[in-house]
Amino acid sequence: MHEYSLALSLLESLRARLAEDPVRGRVKKVHLRQGELLVLSREALREAWSLVTEGTELAGSELAIETVPVRVRCLACGYGGDAKYLAAEGWHVRVPVLSCPRCDARVEIVEGRDLAVVALTVEERVETG
Amino acid sequence: MHEIRVGFEDILKKQLELAGKNYELLSTHGVKAFNVMGAIGSGKTTVILRLAEALRRRGLRAGAVAGDVAGDDDYRRFRQAGLPAANINTGDDCHLDAHRVHHILEELPLDEIDILFIENVGNLVCPADFPLGTEMDIVVISVTEGGDMVRKHPKIFAQTDVMVINKVDLAEVVGVDPQRLVADYRTVNPHGIAILTDAKIGRGIEELLSALGI
Repeated sequence: MHEYSLALSLLESLRARLAEDPVRGRVKKVHLRQGELLVLSREALREAWSLVTEGTELAGSELAIETVPVRVRCLACGYGGDAKYLAAEGWHVRVPVLSCPRCDARVEIVEGRDLAVVALTVEERVETG
Repeated sequence: MHEIRVGFEDILKKQLELAGKNYELLSTHGVKAFNVMGAIGSGKTTVILRLAEALRRRGLRAGAVAGDVAGDDDYRRFRQAGLPAANINTGDDCHLDAHRVHHILEELPLDEIDILFIENVGNLVCPADFPLGTEMDIVVISVTEGGDMVRKHPKIFAQTDVMVINKVDLAEVVGVDPQRLVADYRTVNPHGIAILTDAKIGRGIEELLSALGI
């Protein structure tokens, strides 16, 4: 339900960045990484993106969203890496379990809640004259 | 066409930083805060009121923040019970965020509060994405919402330190087995603590306080 405000923050941070470090040409695609724990409707985010970018230099650009798995850290045994997932049947979504895959102690989430721009696909303008 | 790699910048970082600031501010005033999330009508406010009474008996002072889309009904209940309280109306937002909480903390007499309960907007989806800078996350559900609540919203339960199943006195009437909810919770969150309450009469409140480390 907060896709619209996320789209706005995304636009704000990307425009600030482009103002500082302009690209030559039109941005066709904005590549995002989305942490697996972040509850987000991609469809709603895409729709919000097309609305908020209207009239800006990012109008018409598409969002390419890649999911990034949760990474955890165990304070008991020092494990760092992928989380364990629910193995039981009947759970229809991938749910990371915050328990150490190595020693079963409680783990901390290191990564998996973020939303970030990682790359832009730019259509270069052909300079004439 | 070509691709330009952009330096990694998390747009949710601002929220995290603000949550960190809230935590610091609360710590400076010696306040332990808890984020109370949960379903609409599950009894979050009543649970907080009972916790506040139990804390008073131990000589500790509780405060509360009421977060709702609209209205000040919960806020007035907190005030009536004699708690220092503040009200947040989110308008259309389905969750509290660190920014809103930061503003409201400035309105509260933090030096007169030992334990602060921040009651989130009734919702089992979005609040989990917005850290507020609290010590622990609690999720309150009740048996009247059915026996599948954990299975329907696994993500919030997987990340929450304590789950409260309220209105257990009605379990038989509505035909819901609280132990099934507990078993589902254990599956998604092996280290979480499940507490059964009937907040109306204060049952389970002492156990809940221990689960919160108080």
